[in-house]
Amino acid sequence: MNLFRIYVAPYLKQFKWLMGVTIFLGVLTALAASMLTFTSGYLITSASEMPATILLLQIPIVGVRTFGISRAVTRYLERLTGHNAVLKILADMRVKLYGMLEPQALFIRSRFQTGDIIGTLADDIEHLQDVYIRTIFPTIIALFLFVYTISILALFDWVFALWMAFCLSIIVFVYPLLSLFFLKKQQMELKEKRSRLYQTFTDALFGLSDWIISGKKERFIKKFTLESQESHRIEKRMAFWNQSRAFQLQVLSGLILIIVGVWAGYAAQAGEIMPTYIAAFTLVTLPILEGMAPLSQAMERIPVYQDSLQRIENIRQNVPVETAVTEKTEVSIHPKVLFHEVSYRYIGEKENALQHVSFSIPYGQKIALLGKSGSGKSTLLQLLQGALSQNTGTVSIHGQHPEAYKENIYKLLSVLNQKPYLFATTVENNIRLGNKEATAEEVAEVIKQVKLDHYIRSLPKGIQTQMEETGQRFSGGERQRIALARILLKNTPIVILDEPTVGLDPQTEADLLETMFSALKDKTIILITHHLIGIEKMDQIIFLDKGQVTMSGTHNQLMETSERYRQLYLLDRGEG
Amino acid sequence: MNKQLFHYKGSKVLIILVGILTVAQAITIIFQAIYLSEAIVKMFKGTAWSAVLPSFYGFIVTYMLRHFFQWAKERLAYRFADQTSLFIQQLLVRKLFELGPRGIGKQGSGNMITLCLEGIPNFRKYLELFIPRSIATVCIPVVLLIYILIVDMTSAIVLAVVMPIMIVFLVLLGLMAQKQMDAQWDTYQLLSRHFVDSLRGLATLKYLGQSKVHQDAIETVSNKYRIATNRTLRVAFLSTFSLDFFASLSVAIVAVELGLRLIDGHIGFEAALAILILAPEYFLPVRDLGNDYHATMDGKEAGEKIHELLEKETYASGDSEISVPQWHEESTLSVEQLTKSSDEEERLLLKNISFQVSGFKKVGIVGMSGAGKSTLIDILSGFSHPTDGKIMMDETNLAHLSLQDWQKQVTYVPQHPYIFAGTIAENISLYEPNSSREKIEQAAEMTGLIDLIKSLPSGLDEKIGQGGRSLSGGEEQRIALARGVLQGRPIMLVDEPTAHLDIETEHEIKSMMLPLLENKLVFFATHRLHWMRNMDVILVLEDGQLVEKGTHDELYHQKGAYYRLINAQRGGSAE
Repeated sequence: MNLFRIYVAPYLKQFKWLMGVTIFLGVLTALAASMLTFTSGYLITSASEMPATILLLQIPIVGVRTFGISRAVTRYLERLTGHNAVLKILADMRVKLYGMLEPQALFIRSRFQTGDIIGTLADDIEHLQDVYIRTIFPTIIALFLFVYTISILALFDWVFALWMAFCLSIIVFVYPLLSLFFLKKQQMELKEKRSRLYQTFTDALFGLSDWIISGKKERFIKKFTLESQESHRIEKRMAFWNQSRAFQLQVLSGLILIIVGVWAGYAAQAGEIMPTYIAAFTLVTLPILEGMAPLSQAMERIPVYQDSLQRIENIRQNVPVETAVTEKTEVSIHPKVLFHEVSYRYIGEKENALQHVSFSIPYGQKIALLGKSGSGKSTLLQLLQGALSQNTGTVSIHGQHPEAYKENIYKLLSVLNQKPYLFATTVENNIRLGNKEATAEEVAEVIKQVKLDHYIRSLPKGIQTQMEETGQRFSGGERQRIALARILLKNTPIVILDEPTVGLDPQTEADLLETMFSALKDKTIILITHHLIGIEKMDQIIFLDKGQVTMSGTHNQLMETSERYRQLYLLDRGEG
Repeated sequence: MNKQLFHYKGSKVLIILVGILTVAQAITIIFQAIYLSEAIVKMFKGTAWSAVLPSFYGFIVTYMLRHFFQWAKERLAYRFADQTSLFIQQLLVRKLFELGPRGIGKQGSGNMITLCLEGIPNFRKYLELFIPRSIATVCIPVVLLIYILIVDMTSAIVLAVVMPIMIVFLVLLGLMAQKQMDAQWDTYQLLSRHFVDSLRGLATLKYLGQSKVHQDAIETVSNKYRIATNRTLRVAFLSTFSLDFFASLSVAIVAVELGLRLIDGHIGFEAALAILILAPEYFLPVRDLGNDYHATMDGKEAGEKIHELLEKETYASGDSEISVPQWHEESTLSVEQLTKSSDEEERLLLKNISFQVSGFKKVGIVGMSGAGKSTLIDILSGFSHPTDGKIMMDETNLAHLSLQDWQKQVTYVPQHPYIFAGTIAENISLYEPNSSREKIEQAAEMTGLIDLIKSLPSGLDEKIGQGGRSLSGGEEQRIALARGVLQGRPIMLVDEPTAHLDIETEHEIKSMMLPLLENKLVFFATHRLHWMRNMDVILVLEDGQLVEKGTHDELYHQKGAYYRLINAQRGGSAE
């Protein structure tokens, strides 16, 4: 329930007017439906008494017509205002979620490894509209109908009103709570079964070649079918339960109708109500009960919301506390990078991720950083961006600790990683993300520098081509070039190239590296690489292993002094 | 799609049963109204309770029967939907196996997972609702109308006239909403994707120093999206509005018209009351259909996609009919005029490839991207069939290699071996689940996994794959090789095992792997040419054609395609 207090309650307050109007319209809709039945029952009964003049029926006739029309109108308006309110909330939730994720942008991948967390979160936000539309609104409307009905009845006969309160409570309280508890257990079980099914299936699909080659296809299909049947069985149980519940509620409604009918008959005989009202009271029972029936469905959804909210909450828990550093705004155009005796250890780990790492990069130098996975390359980059802070030693860019620059750090350095994200907009907009004030000439210039000018000119829409449309047409190498153009436009003195060529074939790799180095020739380049292609041009080569520098120097130095380097170099050139 | 509906097992029986139940339900609805109006009229007239109660009994019995029929209908429909969707799911899974890894890659693995696990429940929902709702929409209004027609012609005419008007409006408004949606579709898509797009690109935005500013963009776009959605909803909700409007308006008309004729004495009180009760019931099925329309649309679409996929032409994989002898030192595999054309484009992926290998040889396959290396490996592993050409093993003529007997002899090592959720031991013994512990340890030893295993708290029983510890690319490759070691199969197909690894890991993997290639028939496709020195013969592909064949030394001195390949990769900096 705590989650609802954080994520739902504030919006109820913030949008109380819109919510109020929606609920008011919802109540009007329910009342109009009931009153249509009520007045038409009354009308027919009065008419059957054959009054001398039709004028006596004028009021119920107008009532019937009004209610007949107004029900549709209020329902339409209710749905519109309701959705408007909810869309406003969703817009705000999106901003909030973005705000929570933004500070952890560089850690999302490592922190939340399982599956497609981003997609799930975005879906969660969309699903939250049900909280309002399917649960909160119907619940309040049903509760209002409940109180309203009892109060009206109490005006005529309070003993009967109490008796009705008891009967209606079964529909309004007992069944919804029962549904909540019964279905919660089933939902949990189903969730577990379904996630196992997901696992089995994902494993099978990604490991399909293994299943085919191993000749164990049938074994898998059997396993999958069994698991699928299990989850289907639970769903079936839930569906049947729902169907039976609907039936029971209907029977209950029928019985309540008879009780009301008999009461109306008695009350008429006793003279408490006019006999003309018997039909009206009896018939109005069903439309009123109809307004209360959705409560059970409204309640059973709560566990689903809790799941979604919990996921969002987990993100919120991870938002780092802002450190109180005075922001450094001025950035040097010729910065020097220095690592001196830097060590870093992740919280909860036994080993240092980096151990006494020292090097310095004067402005304009090109350095290559190599190492196996887990050698500390990523940690080093995080330190350089100020996303992490070293335990001992000094990290500095132009004499300042990277953390001190805060967001301005990205005026100093750019990062081109393995899979730079290209947004679903035009090529131009993607490039302009580097510098929104750039002139058309500047954009054209960077496109030329990354050698995409011919290709882009050949596209029918040129730089206005949508990334999405031609997602297939832009190859891995071309995507990297677009991302590179963006970085050139941004024009920072330091550029980090984080394994930009993984997954490209050797020819493309060589071409791309060549383009990168010629376009970035005046800048400091830190190239994280897994191959040795182009290594001869680097000013410094650093090998990391288990957080320590194992080899460093220029290509020529290493060729002379290190047998291991020589081996690796020949291997890479196909001579090993 | 609707045509398919009749082909599902049990659908005809279901339609008949639901039809009968629906008509029975309509009849009980009529009687329920008659009994109820009877009871009310008796009470109104002050009749003795002993006379009123039987009418109430009649009402409650018919009322319960009516809802019992509803319950039975839903249950039957669910059962049918459940069985059919399970059956279709199985067909789908089998189809995916037939499509093979490459075919699935084309469709998008994520899409296939969603279709099979989310699409199926949606499809079930569609099946569950569509049949009973459609039948009810036809049967119930007709039966009720017949009764009303007998009792009171005027009311029947009102109701009969309103229904088609309502449906016309419903369709018109639906089309209007659709048209508006279509007109705005692009903007709509762009706006709705903006958020997810922004989240996915968050790290990139951060690198560009735009991530803080972008928060405003999220807000602006979200609000634009809201306004666009509101505009669409205004039209979209009109169809429900028209349903509600005509339904309640005609109830009101019927009520007033009944009242007026009651005054003149043209109709009895009881009959009038019964018609008043029946009027909303007359519209109920259409309203249900309208309200569930959107809930069933997703399912309908999923169904269409599934059938589209099921109709795709594939060949059964792992044919067990043809027997292939065990590969040994004297065996010969001849490939003659092998050709493969692309499914989508008018293009040949492989053109007239011919070669012959015998015994335990190591065959390297090299070429530029798109030269046909992977296509050749796919055919050799039996994931796809050649379009033309001959494959002979010794004297046996094989049209393709999608044969169980062939695949049983093959170990396949892809670039990204898939690690299943399970322990290391389970992953290594994937092909041979009954392997002994020692054998698994031996395989781990041979592939250099032992250090990793020793460093883990649970050793061989450490969980890896999704939900477990994640492995580096090099470790994944070792697991794949350990799988191969454990099986000891005589043929090995290797597809680009080290290109994505860092040079040091590549070096380690190479020295570990080379001994494992001995005494096997190996096909080794790669860009990393250093492997070629260890191959007995190299096939050089260019644009789908076999342009050179020979050992490293031969080809290097020939200064042809292979030589050019080596030089191109050195970035032109070769001396």
